[in-house]
Amino acid sequence: MSTLIIIVILAALVIWAVSIYNRIITLENRYGNAWSQIDVQLKRRNDLIPNLVEVVKGYAAHEKGVFEEVAASRAAMMGAKSVAESAEAANMMSSALGRLFAISENYPELKANQNFMMLQEELSSVENKVAYARQFYNDAVLQFNNAITTVPGVFLAGPMSKTSQVFLEIPETERQAPQVSFSS
Amino acid sequence: MNQGRNPAVPAGSTGPQERISLPDWKAQNKRNSWLLALFMFALLGGIGWLIGYVVDPAMSGVFVGGALLLAGGQNAVAYWFSDRIALAATGAREATREEHRYLVNVTEAVSIGAGVPVPKIWVIDSPTPNAFATGRNPENGAIAVTTGLMEMLDRQELEGVVAHEMAHIRNYDIRFGSMLVATVGAIILLRDMVLRGMRFGAMGGGRSRGGSRSGGGSGKGGGSGQAIGYILLIVLLVLAPLLATLLHLAVSRKREYLADATGAYITRNPEGLARALEKIGAYAGEPMPVSDGVRHLFFVNPVSKLNAEALGSTHPPISERVRRLRSM
Repeated sequence: MSTLIIIVILAALVIWAVSIYNRIITLENRYGNAWSQIDVQLKRRNDLIPNLVEVVKGYAAHEKGVFEEVAASRAAMMGAKSVAESAEAANMMSSALGRLFAISENYPELKANQNFMMLQEELSSVENKVAYARQFYNDAVLQFNNAITTVPGVFLAGPMSKTSQVFLEIPETERQAPQVSFSS
Repeated sequence: MNQGRNPAVPAGSTGPQERISLPDWKAQNKRNSWLLALFMFALLGGIGWLIGYVVDPAMSGVFVGGALLLAGGQNAVAYWFSDRIALAATGAREATREEHRYLVNVTEAVSIGAGVPVPKIWVIDSPTPNAFATGRNPENGAIAVTTGLMEMLDRQELEGVVAHEMAHIRNYDIRFGSMLVATVGAIILLRDMVLRGMRFGAMGGGRSRGGSRSGGGSGKGGGSGQAIGYILLIVLLVLAPLLATLLHLAVSRKREYLADATGAYITRNPEGLARALEKIGAYAGEPMPVSDGVRHLFFVNPVSKLNAEALGSTHPPISERVRRLRSM
C-alpha cells in the first residue's frame, strides 16, 4: 500500500516536472520565433533601401552625407552576428532613414514621385512592424525570464542551463514613422 | 451568470480610479462564456423535455434529443459558415496589397504585435466608418473595414481599430457570439414549431392521449401535471428567446470592453483607439444598412441610435468605452 502511494507521488512529480519543462521550452521557442519575426522585417528593409536610394538620388544627388550614412548602416546590418549587434545596426539605420526622409521634405518633386511614396509607405510600415515585433519579442522574453526565475521553473532552469535573456531597447522616436523623426 | 458582480471586474458603473486588469477580466469572461453555454444547453434540454412531457411523456427523451440536435445543427452552420455569411451579407471584397497597401501594412504590423497569423483583410465600400472581425479561430480570422473608416482615421487610430478586431479573433469572441446567436435561433425555431403544432392541434391530441392514460388508473396527477407543464412550456417558449437574447447582449457588451482593453494592450496605445472611437462616434452621416444578424460583429453599433446605454444594445456606449481606455 505504502509503495503504491510512493509510486503515485513520484509519478505526479514526474508529470509536474515534465509540464514545467515543456512550458520553459515553449516560451523559449516563442521568443526565438519572435526574434525571427524581427529579422524578417529587417531583411525586408535592407531589400527596400537600394530602391529608395536610387529614387532619391534622381532628385537629390548631392546629399552625399546621408547616402553614405544609409549605406554604412546597411553594411552594419548585413554584417551583424548577434542579437545585440543587429539591434544596434537597426537603430542606426532607423536614424539614417529618418534623416533621409527629413531631407526629402525639401524636394517637392521627389515627394510627389509615385515610386517614392510607395517606398516611403513600405519603409515606414516596416519600421512599424519592427517596433511591434520588438514589443512581442520583449513580451516573450519577459515571460521566459519570469518562468525560469520564479518557483517552480527556477529549479529546472539550472539543470536545463537556461539563463535570462536581455530585452531589446526601443528608442523613443522608433514608435513613430521615420519621416516624422527629425532628431540628430 | 450576472455580469459584473465581481468587484475585481469593471462593471456598468465604475469609479474613475479603477484600473483594468486584463488577465482577471479575461478569466471572468471565459467563465461567463462557459456558464452561458451551459445555461443555453439546459434551457434547450428543458424545452425539449417539456414538449415531450406535454405531447407524450414516454417520448420526452426523443424530444430532448431533437431540440439539442437542432441547436447542434444551427451551431455547426455557425461554426463553419458564419464568416462567409457575414462577409457576403455586408458586401465585403478582399483587399489587395496594391489597392489597399496602407490597410494591409497596418494589419500585418498589428498581427505581429498580437502574435496571431495575419487575418484575411476585406474592404466594404461604404462611407460609414466601421469594421468587423469574423472567423472561428485565429487561423481562419478575417477583418473587414469600410472605406469610410480608412479615410477618416490616421495610422495610430486605424491600428487601434484593427487591434480591437484582432482581439475579438484572439479571444474567440466571434465563435462564441455567432454560436450564441445560432442557439437563440434554434430556440426561436422550436417556439415556432410548437406554435404551429398547437394551431394544427397536434398538442391537443397529445393531451387527450395523456388524459386517457390517467383515466386508465394512474390517477389525475398526470393530467394536471401535464396542464402545468403545458403552461410552463408556453411561458418558457415566449420568455426563452428574450432572455437568451438579453444575456447574449450583456456578454457582447462586455466583450467589447475586453476587446478595447486587449486592443490597447496590443498597440500599447489606448489613446489611438480612444481617438478612433471619438471620431467614429462623431460621424453624423448615413448609418450603414446592416441586418440584425451581423450587427453584433461590428466595431461600433452600425445603427447609431441604438448605441445608447440600453439593454437591447450589442455595444456599450462609446463615451464609456473612451473613458475606460483613457483610464488605462
